[in-house]
Amino acid sequence: MENANKLGRILLVEDDPKDVELTLTALEEYNLANEVVVTRDGEQALDYLYYRGEYKMRAHESPAVMLLDLKLPKVDGLEVLKQIKSDANLKMIPVVVLTSSREEKDMVASYKLGVNAYVVKPVDFHEFVNAIKELGVFWAVINEPPPGSIRK
Amino acid sequence: MVTLAGEATLQSNIRLQQGGSRLWRYGYAVVSVVVAMAPALLLQRFNFSDVELPFFLLAVAITAWYWGVGPAVLSIVLSFLCFDFFFVPPLYSLVFTLPDLPAFVVLILFAILATRFAAVRRKFEKDLREARDRLQMEVDERTKQASLLNLTHDSVFVRDMDLIISYWNRGAEELYGWKAEEAIGKQSQQLLRTVYPVSLEEFRTELLRTGRWDGELRRTTAGGTEIVVASRCSLQRDAQERPVAILETSNDTTERKRREEQIENLNQELARRSVELEAINKELEAFAYSVSHDLRAPLRHVAGYTELLQKQISTIVNEKCSGYMKAILESAKRMGNLIDDLLAFSRIGRAETQKSLVSLEQLLKEALSEVRRDSEGREIAWKIGALPTLYGDRSMLRLVLVNLLSNAVKFTRTRKQAEIEIGSMEGKEAVVFVRDNGVGFDMRYANKLFGVFQRLHQADAFEGTGIGLATVQRIIHRHGGSVWAEGEIEKGATFYFSTPKAEGALWKTQTN
Repeated sequence: MENANKLGRILLVEDDPKDVELTLTALEEYNLANEVVVTRDGEQALDYLYYRGEYKMRAHESPAVMLLDLKLPKVDGLEVLKQIKSDANLKMIPVVVLTSSREEKDMVASYKLGVNAYVVKPVDFHEFVNAIKELGVFWAVINEPPPGSIRK
Repeated sequence: MVTLAGEATLQSNIRLQQGGSRLWRYGYAVVSVVVAMAPALLLQRFNFSDVELPFFLLAVAITAWYWGVGPAVLSIVLSFLCFDFFFVPPLYSLVFTLPDLPAFVVLILFAILATRFAAVRRKFEKDLREARDRLQMEVDERTKQASLLNLTHDSVFVRDMDLIISYWNRGAEELYGWKAEEAIGKQSQQLLRTVYPVSLEEFRTELLRTGRWDGELRRTTAGGTEIVVASRCSLQRDAQERPVAILETSNDTTERKRREEQIENLNQELARRSVELEAINKELEAFAYSVSHDLRAPLRHVAGYTELLQKQISTIVNEKCSGYMKAILESAKRMGNLIDDLLAFSRIGRAETQKSLVSLEQLLKEALSEVRRDSEGREIAWKIGALPTLYGDRSMLRLVLVNLLSNAVKFTRTRKQAEIEIGSMEGKEAVVFVRDNGVGFDMRYANKLFGVFQRLHQADAFEGTGIGLATVQRIIHRHGGSVWAEGEIEKGATFYFSTPKAEGALWKTQTN
């Protein structure tokens, strides 16, 4: 894996390669694309956070924000969120759900589990790019991340 | 009461039998002596002597027999005087001589004997009469009871301990098809082919122990039809507490039983259907979720990559190409809107309604402020009347108003001065209407207005997905109301919706 030992302020959990590409394109404008670590399913995301499997050797630092899709192979987004928020070591990591789903039950479930923000991906590309950019800038630049996070 | 009245009748009967008034009875005594005199005097004329006394004896005996002691004494006295006067020497004088004594004694003895016999006879007669009257009363009473039992629609019959039928009312005739004369004397088990829910032994034991038995029996009528009856049996005991008869009342429950079975079947069917429906609903929900998530993603990619393409080749691309790309983007956006609206529409069907008292006037203010944002720069004359308070789901009713208002705003766009009126009408139900002076519609297509994806205007004339009015209809239907519209091409349209009034619903919630 190319980014097995990569460190970044943004952990993106997204299974769709096109969405990954579009997201990275959006973040490029603010030179944040290099800060992104991409995991492609829930299990990989948890491996990253728990320093397991391919991420065994990575440095002990948490991302400043995690952008989490809900519909994921293997372990789905809500399951990942539940794990993070019920783990004393991980619960401080800001998690932003970034999903296509406008379903109320997903939103309610996410907030109940303690999500920090819930963003529905806009269909319109301009809106999508703006949303991703603003998210990246806010969480990775403006917001003060919790102690133990990667800093610039 | 019946017995008292009977007693009175008995007494008066006896008095009548005793032969009218006292005076008459003494009269008869006199007459009998006079009648005895006639043959005696006649025989004397033809010189038959000493045959007079038996005539007088007969008169005294008859008087004593029929009219009692008093008249008998009177007849003895009169007979003796007549005998002494007409037949004993010296003739035609009342002088009492010694030779008269035996005749006098015979008369008295005979009279005593006759009176005594008469008294005994009368006593027997009286006893007999009383017994007969009592019997008659009892028969009357029984007949009355039996005819009362005949009046009931339930079947009533009595059988003795050998199951031989001794009473059979009209209800039993109707239920089982056997006439009373056919049934009485027959063995009930053979006649009715009864099937007990318990064994016959258990039935008997229960009846003897408690004196009664209730239950459902299967029987066969005279016509051969099998019927189900609800039966109640009671045991009759005699004075020595020995069981003598079984009284059974029963009514036909065949139809009820059949209905119960039918209901049971329907319930099972209903349970099965509702399980099916639940499964279908779950499937539908999964489908909607999938549409929401999976359909949107490729759409976003189409739009995204087209944008990126546009950016990459903007310098070399010609007018035509950029027009194509613009069309792709517009279509993607439109499909996004369609998906959103369709999901919202399906959500209304699935979501639970949370009902409360909702002031439509307050709700209209909110809806107006939302619609006005989209109608900036337009000249619209709003005319707002009084609106009722409804019992319903606030956010859904809000959606109804927003949809109707934005519809009115949209279709008055071609008007220089748009007029939109919102008001209500009082009636059995609360009716709210939204009227505009817009482009209107052809009433021939009024039925298509509220269908999903149905549009009466060309896509480039008025934008829209054709979901708005379908959503309105769905929400109002879920509130137990109805929607309809009136319009004419180029002369505006009016949309109505009605819902049950709030008072009734409010009262319902209070009593709950």
